[in-house]
Amino acid sequence: MKKLSLLMFSAALLLAAPAYSNEMTGLDIMKLVDTRDDGDDLIQNMKQRLIDRRGNVREREMVSLRKDYGKDSKSITYFLAPSNIRDTGLLTWDYDGIEKDDDQWLYLPALKKVRRISSSDRGDYFMGTDFTFEDIKQTPELEDYNWTLIESKLIDGHDMWIVEGKPKTDELKKNLGYSNTRYTIRKDINMYVRVDYWDRKGKELKYLISEEIKQIDGVWTAMKGTMTNVQSNHRTELSFTDQRYNTGLSDRTFSERMLKRGYRAK
Amino acid sequence: MKKIFNWVLTHPKSVLLMLVLTTVLAVSQMRHIHIETDMDAMLPKHSDAYINKQVLEERFGSVDMVIIGIINDAKDGVYNTKSLTLVQELTDWLAEQPQFRTLALNDLLSLATIKDIRGSDAGLDVEQFMDGVPESQNQIEHLKQRMHEFGLYEDVIVSADGSGTIFAVRPMPDSRHQYAEIYDLVKNKVAELEARGGSERFFISGRPVIEGVFGVYMPAEMKRMQPMIMGLLLVLLFLSFRTARGVFLPIAVVLMAEIWTLGTMAALGAPIYTVTTMLPILILAIGIADAVHFLSRERLLAHHKAYAHRKERMVEVMHELWKPMLMTTVTTGAGFLSMLASDLPPIRDFGMFAAIGIVYALLITMLFLPAALMLLPEKVKHAERKPLFSGYVRWLGEAVLAYPKRIMAFFAILLVISVAGIMKLDVNASLVDQFKPADPLRQADKMLNQHFSGTTSLDVMIDTGRENGLLEPEFLQHLVDLQQEIEKNPMVGDSSSIAEFLQTMNQALHADDPAWKKVPDSSDLAAQYLLLYSFSGAPDDFETFVTGDYRQAHVRINMKTDETKVIATLLESLKDKTDLWFPADKGFKVEWAGTGFTVHRLSEMIIDGQVASLATSIIAIFLLCWWMFKRLLIAAIAMIPVSLAVTVNYGMMGNFGVPLDIATALTGAMALGIGVDFAIHYLHRYHEESSAGNSYRESVINTNRSVGHAILFNSFVVIGGFLVLLSAALYPQMKLGALIAATMVICYLATCYLFPVLLGLGKEKIKV
Repeated sequence: MKKLSLLMFSAALLLAAPAYSNEMTGLDIMKLVDTRDDGDDLIQNMKQRLIDRRGNVREREMVSLRKDYGKDSKSITYFLAPSNIRDTGLLTWDYDGIEKDDDQWLYLPALKKVRRISSSDRGDYFMGTDFTFEDIKQTPELEDYNWTLIESKLIDGHDMWIVEGKPKTDELKKNLGYSNTRYTIRKDINMYVRVDYWDRKGKELKYLISEEIKQIDGVWTAMKGTMTNVQSNHRTELSFTDQRYNTGLSDRTFSERMLKRGYRAK
Repeated sequence: MKKIFNWVLTHPKSVLLMLVLTTVLAVSQMRHIHIETDMDAMLPKHSDAYINKQVLEERFGSVDMVIIGIINDAKDGVYNTKSLTLVQELTDWLAEQPQFRTLALNDLLSLATIKDIRGSDAGLDVEQFMDGVPESQNQIEHLKQRMHEFGLYEDVIVSADGSGTIFAVRPMPDSRHQYAEIYDLVKNKVAELEARGGSERFFISGRPVIEGVFGVYMPAEMKRMQPMIMGLLLVLLFLSFRTARGVFLPIAVVLMAEIWTLGTMAALGAPIYTVTTMLPILILAIGIADAVHFLSRERLLAHHKAYAHRKERMVEVMHELWKPMLMTTVTTGAGFLSMLASDLPPIRDFGMFAAIGIVYALLITMLFLPAALMLLPEKVKHAERKPLFSGYVRWLGEAVLAYPKRIMAFFAILLVISVAGIMKLDVNASLVDQFKPADPLRQADKMLNQHFSGTTSLDVMIDTGRENGLLEPEFLQHLVDLQQEIEKNPMVGDSSSIAEFLQTMNQALHADDPAWKKVPDSSDLAAQYLLLYSFSGAPDDFETFVTGDYRQAHVRINMKTDETKVIATLLESLKDKTDLWFPADKGFKVEWAGTGFTVHRLSEMIIDGQVASLATSIIAIFLLCWWMFKRLLIAAIAMIPVSLAVTVNYGMMGNFGVPLDIATALTGAMALGIGVDFAIHYLHRYHEESSAGNSYRESVINTNRSVGHAILFNSFVVIGGFLVLLSAALYPQMKLGALIAATMVICYLATCYLFPVLLGLGKEKIKV
């Protein structure tokens, strides 16, 4: 009897071991997610589907170009549809950290003018979607949250980390609009497949599901992301196609001049 | 019939048991009773005001908000660091309460959440007016100036003179049952802020608050009035009978009738509306009459020892009384049932359950009283006391015969004054006016209306019939025109639409040049502006003004009053304009909604229902009288006192400026149904007197002597019962109480004074 229990104990230790072997903390994991290879630059087509609680759908199509500059990045997005906003373009210079506000310019073809847009709060919703400006970044600002590894488990055949991130201060909670977030991260590719959000009052607010994860040009890429707000029953589906990584986009691509010129498919 | 009576009398215990069981059943149902405080539920479900309200919420997420106002009468108004700190604190507090939904900007509007749109050479800035509490005088001046220049929120969020600012916050969906708690929650917070002793005063209003208060008032009113009316009945019964059984048996009858009625309402799922809270009073006051008739007759026969056995005596009483009691119940019931001609559920329910209640009262009287009297020990002595007022009743018979001309003149003058009054009769379905002028809620509403754009919502939804239709410059210009037309009305505080915002953005993107404050000249430009805004402001900022496909637009109007007249005038004046600017043949569709529109439709239905139910009740009661008396002329005469009383009722309303509303609209049919009983009793007796061969003079005197007292008692109970309503917390109930009481006085006078004179008309005198 004694032997058996000893055996079981060591078996349990053995099973538990992988999770603790490398002593990963929540922050360590999030750093892995943050530094995951997502290409140095990217061109992709994007389709936005906004679905309200009655099932009405609003669609927008755009083409988006991005280039990394160390931890900063620049991106330019041209709207293709609907026709009344065709050729409208958005240029963003995104700076790492929170010290410097991002720069944004918008080109309105009907006005034939480029306009600078004041930077938004991180908790503001982005373009009528269910994503906030914070959400559309690849990873949140890691230093603003207290990260905790909750558990490791097997979901849909993948080993996952469940990491919880709570904004550090009340001020941050107010700015971000969240009291808690929870990331479900695939261990094999350091990529999150689901994020749950709780509002300032501690009520479940929304969740993001990343699907159709494939390797393109060697970069793991989610072809679809759906954010569902459980309070308003509003949903945003983003689907991405025609990704091309590391094509060597020139710096000139991310300028006001190019914004005005509009997108020309090569 | 006699067989049934005999069965009742030989099985008194079974009868009592049956009654008790039914009562227990009714009580068990009563816990299902629910109170309806939703003002829109007063409308029938098929009414466009009811439907459009749902559409408005569905399409534009526009719902009724709780409104809190801060007013500071000090020199700088709310533009000082201390007041603004309070604004920030209260805003943060509201955002944290789980009772409120604060997902989007439009869920919580306050000086600390609204956004400014400003142009610069380089671009467009959309930012909060207040990013944290401004501390320096410069910052405060800047805030003040921006608020004024931006304009859209001036008078809406901050009063034009800066003396006050408001908060509008959205309760969680489906939290109607919590409105009273929400009001308490906000009241407590506000009291806490006020206790700090600043010069800021706080006011709370808004539809959810008003409905919450109604929800608390209604059951409280019922509980409070019940003992009052019971006390009144006890006194009147004691004065009439001076025995324990004479007091408690009738009380037991009407209490049972009341419980049965409420039980029936609960079982049928009928909610309690503000007007149906008066049902218990009505059933107590009217139901008691049958029991009193029964007991007096029984006592009279017992006194004369007309029958050897009490069972025979009971049978005689029951046999004698069931027909007239049934008649009066039927005519009164007809008066109430005529309310079914109205489209408004509260009025329909009131009429139906009042009719059911008096039928119950009759049934219980005929079952419970004989059974109880059989079981109670037989009294040895039956001392007959002279009823009170017998001196008056006797005098009356003579007096009426002495002064026919003066009586005729009196009623003729009354009629003329009343007809003049009817010309001035008004209708007002205002929700706020239901509260007494001194009620804190009405005071708060008044203050908010004085300082801000108004607490009553009126909404126009315009469907352009095609996707992106509302972005067309022509349409946007017509929206601007419509708003200008609407704002010409002095009682309109403000209106807002997407066109206003697009004008402001157009100006902002042209270096804030006021010359550019006009709608964008192309549909594409409008679409691009809205996209641009969505990068800076929250996109849902506009969800209340446009649908996602840019097909439907919403113009929100804030009114300073919800009085029927004002709203009817406004709607009337806009009809031609909307037909011209948004023609149906080009695919446009214009729909109205909001509290103002609800009130408008309510008023129309009150008037329509009023005419229909009056006409129905007059015809029904007339036909019943004709059938009862078998002569057209007598039926016509029977209608005279009630018709006169009803005319005087409406005349009084016109003369004293009491408008028709959801409660006072009940008075006509109600007075008719109750009042006609007097005439039936009187004519019945007069008929018997004159058939016995008495002369006109003798008949009048005898009739007065015998039924004069019963009619007087009846009048006292009904008048007294309705006067209890003078203590009601809600205005319409109070007015209804006073009106019915006054109308019953007229009805009594017309029956006992005018009838004999009328019957004496003509050389031959009228034979009944």
